[in-house]
Amino acid sequence: MNRLAIGRRAALLSGVAAVANPSVLRAQADPIKIATLTPLTGAGGPYGPVMAKVAAAVVEEVNAAGGVLGRKVQLVSEDDQTNPDAGVRAARKLIDVDKVSAIMGTWASAVTTAVAPLCWESKTFLCTVSGADSITLLPHQGYLVRTQPNTLLQVTRAGEFLLSLGAKKTYTLVPQTPFAQRSIEILAEVSKKAGGSHGSQIYDDKKTTYRTEIDQALRFGPDAIFCAGYTPDTIVLLKDLYRAGYKGKILGQAYAVNQKLVDQIGQNEVVEGVYTFAPSVAEGSTALERVKKMSGLASPDPYTSQVYDHTNMVLMAMAVAKATTGTAIKDNIRKITQGGGKPVDNAVDGLKAIAAGEKVDYAGASGPCDFDDKGDILDCKFRYEQIKAGKATLVKVA
Amino acid sequence: MTILLQALLNGLVSGALLAVPAIGFTAMFAVLRFPNFSVSGVATLGAFAGYVAYAAGLQIIGSLAVAFAIAGAVGLFLDRTAHMPLVKQGALPAAIASIASGLVLENVVRLLFGNELRGYDRPIARDLRIGDIRFSPQQLETMAIALAIMLAVFAALAFTRIGKSMRASADNPELAALKGIRPQRVAMMASFVGMGLVGMGGMLLGLDSSIDPLTGTRILLSIFAAAVLGGLGSAPGAVLGAFLIGIAEEAAVLAVGSAYRAAVGFFAILIVLSLRPRGLLGERAF
Repeated sequence: MNRLAIGRRAALLSGVAAVANPSVLRAQADPIKIATLTPLTGAGGPYGPVMAKVAAAVVEEVNAAGGVLGRKVQLVSEDDQTNPDAGVRAARKLIDVDKVSAIMGTWASAVTTAVAPLCWESKTFLCTVSGADSITLLPHQGYLVRTQPNTLLQVTRAGEFLLSLGAKKTYTLVPQTPFAQRSIEILAEVSKKAGGSHGSQIYDDKKTTYRTEIDQALRFGPDAIFCAGYTPDTIVLLKDLYRAGYKGKILGQAYAVNQKLVDQIGQNEVVEGVYTFAPSVAEGSTALERVKKMSGLASPDPYTSQVYDHTNMVLMAMAVAKATTGTAIKDNIRKITQGGGKPVDNAVDGLKAIAAGEKVDYAGASGPCDFDDKGDILDCKFRYEQIKAGKATLVKVA
Repeated sequence: MTILLQALLNGLVSGALLAVPAIGFTAMFAVLRFPNFSVSGVATLGAFAGYVAYAAGLQIIGSLAVAFAIAGAVGLFLDRTAHMPLVKQGALPAAIASIASGLVLENVVRLLFGNELRGYDRPIARDLRIGDIRFSPQQLETMAIALAIMLAVFAALAFTRIGKSMRASADNPELAALKGIRPQRVAMMASFVGMGLVGMGGMLLGLDSSIDPLTGTRILLSIFAAAVLGGLGSAPGAVLGAFLIGIAEEAAVLAVGSAYRAAVGFFAILIVLSLRPRGLLGERAF
């Protein structure tokens, strides 16, 4: 929990003012509340804290420049623990107690799937970085956008990358998640279209060893294995693949096969040559430069970049709507992200332009941030890396 | 055929690791007469205690001793303060209290060590092969340690004074008390040794993979299923149950897919409770 504190005296004063002159002063004194709900612990633990930090930095910047519609913005940060139960509890608190108008940054697909219904039922706007196809197919009535490419786009690109490496027989190992079945179907289709074949297995991510699962996978004789799990289970998988003497290619999601995984395994030859892929941040964009400064990271991860975009978009949508509700954000977010206008890369510039009556077109740190009607992004580049001597090295961005 | 043999071998390895905490669980049930579900937290505690000892430079055996001592002491403390005062009202209140103390322990570990995954710093080696069957030397080592612990427990139950009095108390507490066996002492011994075994089990399971505050919770169902399958209260039953559960869990991967592994434990409990509630070997403590 990390909220921007209001001093007791200030709170008291605003309370007195509100009683004395209800309508006018209350509007000025009450801050606009928005929230981050990121994984500060669990499998997403490496990403959530810095995501929340960057969102707070954006809010601080906007407040320093006078806030939104003449009101200060207050950011409430909660931890979803990378766990749907905890995510729902935290979302309930944000919606019922804090009465935020937007929740940003839900990370794991299972968490987003659980939190989304609470949001659309309470008309709270939800911005997520989760990828499962099923999420934007939920009946969210427009109260949801995501800046992460969906499973279809991600796994298609992953499959094409494996083909480019010469892998004909591919195999998917994926834990039971909202994207498990789709991942398998999509990779199978990509492989078969190119004349190859595909096998798959959905595993229990709570096991302490995957020897039998690996035996089963290796019987298929794959040239490449797509490990689509999260960090904890992928550690066990990679160890067991090494023990089993598997010499083929391995591709994993960069959010699972990260430096933490490499350090955890602690033996470079186990992870040597493993490929990773991730939606690329908008390399070379001015927005990304701003995220680098705010996060203090030389190469911010995609999720941090995405949550930077969420915060900017939500605040600008409120300004265009001249209202701060979730519904106002829903109805106006596409007006500031697409359809031409003055290009902006941050809310402070955007809010000024909007106040001056200009139309803006936001392009962020994660990409152009243009959404279709379902809430999916229209375009995204991917970054492919390979682990060599315990360090991720760039293969290509495409 | 090969794959079946391989699954059997994998099952035997995980069964051996499971047997250690299962004996602890069942021994406590035999003497204290309630299912102590705080084993989830105690197994995690043992895994972390062993981890700290191992990182401090102790060998595996030394670290196991540390895991045993710390898990045993904390388990005994919990039994004395939280569980035993409730046993007089029946097994259920004590069992529910033990679920709570397991959660508390898990979160104490989380507070001290965080949610991060940690691994024992052991080298990862390629497996050895005999024909098409592969096995890892480390896993065999861990399995051998588990078997040695089991032998030691059985020897202690059979030949030592305290072992005999534990069996006597489990069989018939009143008669044992008449014979001059002090029930309090036996109960405390059962708590300490039982929880110590659970702590060592947590560490043995963590040796090969990685540990986090949920380590114990993940194996709780398998431990309980093994004990119920073999007959709650029977130490040899727990060993048999652990091997059967271990093998069944691996075989389930081949038959219905890994995602349904957790169902194996529930299914075993369901079958045993409906067909043979006493379990395979009945309730005799030895």
